[in-house]
Amino acid sequence: MTAPRVGIIGIGQSPFTRRRDDASYPDLVREAVIGAMRQADLDFDAIDGTVYSLSPDAMVGIGNAETLGVDAVGGRNKPFLRINTGGATGISSVAAAYYHVASGACDVVLTAGADKVGECGDSQTVLNKIWDPTYERQLPHGTITMLAMSGIRYQHKYGMTEEDMARVVVKNRKHAALNPNAHLRTEVTVDDVMASRMISWPIKLMDCCPQSSGGGAMVLASEKFIKQNKLDVVWITGVGHCTETYYQGDRMGTGQTADHADAYALGKACWRSYKMAGITDPQKQIDVAELYAPFSNTEFHSIEAAGLANVGQSVPMVNEGRFSIGGEIPVNPSGGTLCTNAIAVTAMIRVAEVALQVWGKAGGHQVKGAKRGIATGNGGDHQFFGTVVVEA
Amino acid sequence: MGLNRKTAVIGTAIAAPPPDDPRSLEELLYDVTQAALIDAGMSIEAIDGIVVGSNDQFDGRAISVMMASGSVGGVDRDILSTPSAGEHAFVMATLRIASGLYETHLVVSWSPTEASSMAETQRLGADPYFHRKLPLDELAGAALQANSIASATPGVHDLATRIAELNLNNGSHAYPAAAAQTAEAGALPWPLRDGMVSAPATGAVALVIASENYVAAKGLTNIAWVNGMGWATESGYLGDRDLNQAEALEAARDRAYADAGITNPLETLDVVELTDASPYQQLLVSEVLGLSARADWESDVATGIFTKHSALAVNPSGGVASFNPVFCTGLIRIAEAANQVRGTAGAHQVKGAKNALAHAASGFAMMYQSVLILGDQPKGAAA
Repeated sequence: MTAPRVGIIGIGQSPFTRRRDDASYPDLVREAVIGAMRQADLDFDAIDGTVYSLSPDAMVGIGNAETLGVDAVGGRNKPFLRINTGGATGISSVAAAYYHVASGACDVVLTAGADKVGECGDSQTVLNKIWDPTYERQLPHGTITMLAMSGIRYQHKYGMTEEDMARVVVKNRKHAALNPNAHLRTEVTVDDVMASRMISWPIKLMDCCPQSSGGGAMVLASEKFIKQNKLDVVWITGVGHCTETYYQGDRMGTGQTADHADAYALGKACWRSYKMAGITDPQKQIDVAELYAPFSNTEFHSIEAAGLANVGQSVPMVNEGRFSIGGEIPVNPSGGTLCTNAIAVTAMIRVAEVALQVWGKAGGHQVKGAKRGIATGNGGDHQFFGTVVVEA
Repeated sequence: MGLNRKTAVIGTAIAAPPPDDPRSLEELLYDVTQAALIDAGMSIEAIDGIVVGSNDQFDGRAISVMMASGSVGGVDRDILSTPSAGEHAFVMATLRIASGLYETHLVVSWSPTEASSMAETQRLGADPYFHRKLPLDELAGAALQANSIASATPGVHDLATRIAELNLNNGSHAYPAAAAQTAEAGALPWPLRDGMVSAPATGAVALVIASENYVAAKGLTNIAWVNGMGWATESGYLGDRDLNQAEALEAARDRAYADAGITNPLETLDVVELTDASPYQQLLVSEVLGLSARADWESDVATGIFTKHSALAVNPSGGVASFNPVFCTGLIRIAEAANQVRGTAGAHQVKGAKNALAHAASGFAMMYQSVLILGDQPKGAAA
């Protein structure tokens, strides 16, 4: 059985920033929803159901905080459920919305959410609580230290330097400067990055994503609905997920199930969506990529997992500009997660940005001639991975 | 809209561990997963995808699905999580199979009781400005709803007491250890009384579901077809709702009945498993589902429509009133209904059950509502 085609007909996102004192949490959701509904040119009666995108409740400080968003998405008395796969939540929510349509349950589905990470106090304190309370929580562990260990391992295996990491920051900040919705839009130099304070070796402050506040929303629809209403659309042609181990220790040492330097499960998720989309050579068939990389070092193994470079070979390609706007396969032309991270919707924005690119509606950071792209999302302790292929 | 293809429940397992069970939560989830796979006659290798439902506050972990992914066989697999409700995991998995991209799914939900205060964890679910100071936990929400129903229905307190007795009698067969603790629920908000509600218990549930193509290819017969599925939500603010009504349940009912082609539920259904966090909610749900009109509540209770021996057996498991692992009670209702259709319900099996309804409700005063219609034959949309 072949899944029916599902299209993206509306996208909304906030101008992300550290704080939004002018808007409550539901206000931010509503802001994004209104943007998506305006682009889709629909009223709320046309929405058959909602997939709500929200990662840890503790980031918002309210248990099951999706309940506060029901009215913001116009969800009352309609199908509604929430997805949470940590940082991958946004792309998992797009996938869940896709299944709502592909199953025949709905013709038009809204997926939406928001986060106020910049107002949560310290996201790393919250994120420490993702680990097992007996074994790994007390290290103390955070997502920065977790991916610093991956960076050290990647340095060891493939020869990446801290200057190489800094060049990823320079690239993405340059891209973000062209994107009015990005949070960190100031261009920086390699020297700036190298001079920023060390957070967890080899990751320095400017190698880290910001704590962002803002919302994201997308409207997906069936091919039948799109054709009946003659809507402007780009298509989701591939969807994939895969999972790694929970315990960090299972990715290290002689008994490892996967190497922490690489993104093994992300690679499997990418190839699942490529297979569905009929892609066999992503280096030739992908025009643009939005890869979830919250720290500069993780962009390298994400590029490789997505098959845009061979394993261990992405560093010189980044340095040569292959993945910059104007290069062969621009990666994170929006500035990516490194410049904007409102966790609940970050991975949704990756899909939204790829959709805008292949639609030709990305504005100042448009990649010329982009017709097919891939978006990825990472969640948990580098554990849950979601991927979506979007085509014009 | 009906789904593009049929799905069936092919395996279930419900874990009701005693309070002194020495297993960790990870061990409990591994065991319940393996039991469901064994019931389905398959190994984890045959599972295409997994959807789990869990609650961060109850588990004491941010992103609680992380811990479970190993126990439920998620490593190297495709796994999603629906923290809004345990039953939403079933909805999501069914949609994934109906999309044509998956043939099988594992659905797991759980609810531990290790939090020092379940009421305090539930209070975190109230918005911090208007409701959190009330204080409002799920029992308080059920009590507010009971008062709303009672204010519109004189005499309902006596009916609620009698229904609670019926549920406990049923539960004494299905979950004797858990049902015995119902009387120890502790101080209750008015008008709830001893015996009406069950203290939170640790529990877990797993189901294996498969596409019609997989069922045909494997020649499976001991299955329960998902013939109808509806789900909807109320507003998040109690103040915006009339708790004497259940509009989201009406929407979920309409969708599920339309899918299954049900016009007269009393005639079609043999078994109903309702989420009855209180007997007042059971009455309201019975009304909305077309099982017992409000004007007939007293006579229906008197003539036994709510017993497991009536023409329509209601809560033969004893319902939530007998066994209450809070976050996964809704998914347990689905597993119980599937077991009845498959003839695998054990001591509380209803003889000859062919068509069952599972009603799942979660959140304050049944905010999230889901209705599943299960049958021994494929019926309705995509049948």
